[in-house]
Amino acid sequence: MKEDCRKYFERISEYLDGELDDEICRKIEAHLEECPECRECLNSLKKTIQLCKEAGKEAIPSDIHERLRSNLRQLLKRRSQ
Amino acid sequence: MGAMEKIVERYENQLFTFGLKMCGHVQDAEDIVQETFLNAFRYLDRFREETKLRNWLFKIATRACIRKRRKKKCEPDKEISLESFVQKDGSHARYEIPDWSDDPSKNVLRSELKQVIDAAVLSLPTKYRLVFNLRDIEGFNTEETAEILGISAQSVKTRLHRARFFLREKISNHFVEGKVQ
Repeated sequence: MKEDCRKYFERISEYLDGELDDEICRKIEAHLEECPECRECLNSLKKTIQLCKEAGKEAIPSDIHERLRSNLRQLLKRRSQ
Repeated sequence: MGAMEKIVERYENQLFTFGLKMCGHVQDAEDIVQETFLNAFRYLDRFREETKLRNWLFKIATRACIRKRRKKKCEPDKEISLESFVQKDGSHARYEIPDWSDDPSKNVLRSELKQVIDAAVLSLPTKYRLVFNLRDIEGFNTEETAEILGISAQSVKTRLHRARFFLREKISNHFVEGKVQ
């Protein structure tokens, strides 16, 4: 990995999260224009994050939902007595 | 229950997802949700900042996850080094990251992909998994995550960056080599 690539590789997450100032963003964008490997690195990281977000959606099973309500009611009742 | 009922309704799914992504077991996730609500309701009358309620609940849930891990006497957290993602010969590696599809005809593929991703997230060392789940799955920003975990914003950024590269490697390896390493 070239020195420039290495320098931006370390900040690519902050770039994706919009946490860098304009000047550094411009430098990264200029580098990305001329470096296909870093573009590939950025895109694969972006895709990984998106994929994990999509797969991260879970719904609480209905039996657990019911049990949770019932347990909480009982425990809170016991606590207030 | 009243107000408490509304809070459960609003946050149970998010807390269940967080518990499941942290522990990998439905029973553990259920325990974490219950423990979180019980602890929160104990002090709810003192709580006035509505906008911070979600952060506070996740702070309690995080402590519950850490306690559960200690009870199971897990091995100490390993560090993830950024060096391990840099090619030794100076070249750039290629990564195979599939697309997520909402097409119902691809349910089987999607379910396999979800298993790969869930396993990859669970293989993250705990301190990286906490940051990744809070930032990328639950959508807290860097400062909120730092506050929930009691660490600096810089540590959140460093751990998130390494966790993302770790996950990219794991997911890509599965599709290149046909298995999760």
